[in-house]
Amino acid sequence: MALTTLATRVLGPAIMSRFSVTPVLEGFLNALSSSVIVAIVATVVAQGGWREAAAVALAAGVMLAARSAVWAMLAGATCAALWRVALG
Amino acid sequence: MLDGRGVRAGFLRLAPVGVFAAPFGLAFGAAAVEHGLLPLETLIMSATVFAGAAQFAVLDLWSHPLPLLSIALTVLAVNARHLLLGAALSPWVNALPWPRRLLALPLLSDANFADSYRSLREGGGDGVANLGVLVGGGLALWLAWTAGTALGAYAGSGLGDLGRFGIDLVMACFFAAVAAGDLKTPSSLLPAAVAAAVAVLALEAVPAGWNIILAALAGASVGALTGRLRPGR
Repeated sequence: MALTTLATRVLGPAIMSRFSVTPVLEGFLNALSSSVIVAIVATVVAQGGWREAAAVALAAGVMLAARSAVWAMLAGATCAALWRVALG
Repeated sequence: MLDGRGVRAGFLRLAPVGVFAAPFGLAFGAAAVEHGLLPLETLIMSATVFAGAAQFAVLDLWSHPLPLLSIALTVLAVNARHLLLGAALSPWVNALPWPRRLLALPLLSDANFADSYRSLREGGGDGVANLGVLVGGGLALWLAWTAGTALGAYAGSGLGDLGRFGIDLVMACFFAAVAAGDLKTPSSLLPAAVAAAVAVLALEAVPAGWNIILAALAGASVGALTGRLRPGR
């Protein structure tokens, strides 16, 4: 994990001194990381249930409204906690 | 150039941002221990990897024996964006002598990239573009991330059922927030929708973690196509 991550950090300029970033490559790399993240959220919701779906939807909503990942994470986790306590 | 003055400036500028990175570290530490990692393993992972999204992403894959290939591919996919950040910094990085090029980038992440890129393009406060700002900012974030992880990993394990505190869903909520922040432009919606659909459809069909890798490749391919179709770029 450490080596793979280090490689992605250090190799950017080395690669770019040989190739140029084409729109296709930029589109691919940009979509790659957000695709992983969306896929993970979709998997959690598919394996879970309404508690998971509600927490995730609230977190996304707070992010869109408040532009703060910290508040979004707190809101989603609080929703999940209350759901567990109130509904089991 | 890259010198101590830049490192100091970057560190001081991003120290306040570090205050916000620490709670993420705490959440990661608690979540990792819940997924069966030892506190020490969790701390070593944060100190050496220093990439929150990738670290959260591998927790679901953490079973013994470790699925090393899935873990490596997932980390590669989540962190591939670093290549773009590094590419944007290449005019300044490639101007450094060789050993210093390697010093400049190991702590590259989104926040210190955004801060130092602006400062580099403006030529710094005194007209000197200094990559030390990137290193110093990274150092501030790394300290906060590692300290937060330590607190979550060692204190979080004494709390019992973490579902009561919603900690089992901190990762999913964090990712939902990141995804919502990413989906600003219409062109990013289609890859995301394809990725979500592939992830859910493949869930039962492939070994754990591979549905994420398939979804990432599908979403990224759609992203490459829409990148090609985007006019004027």
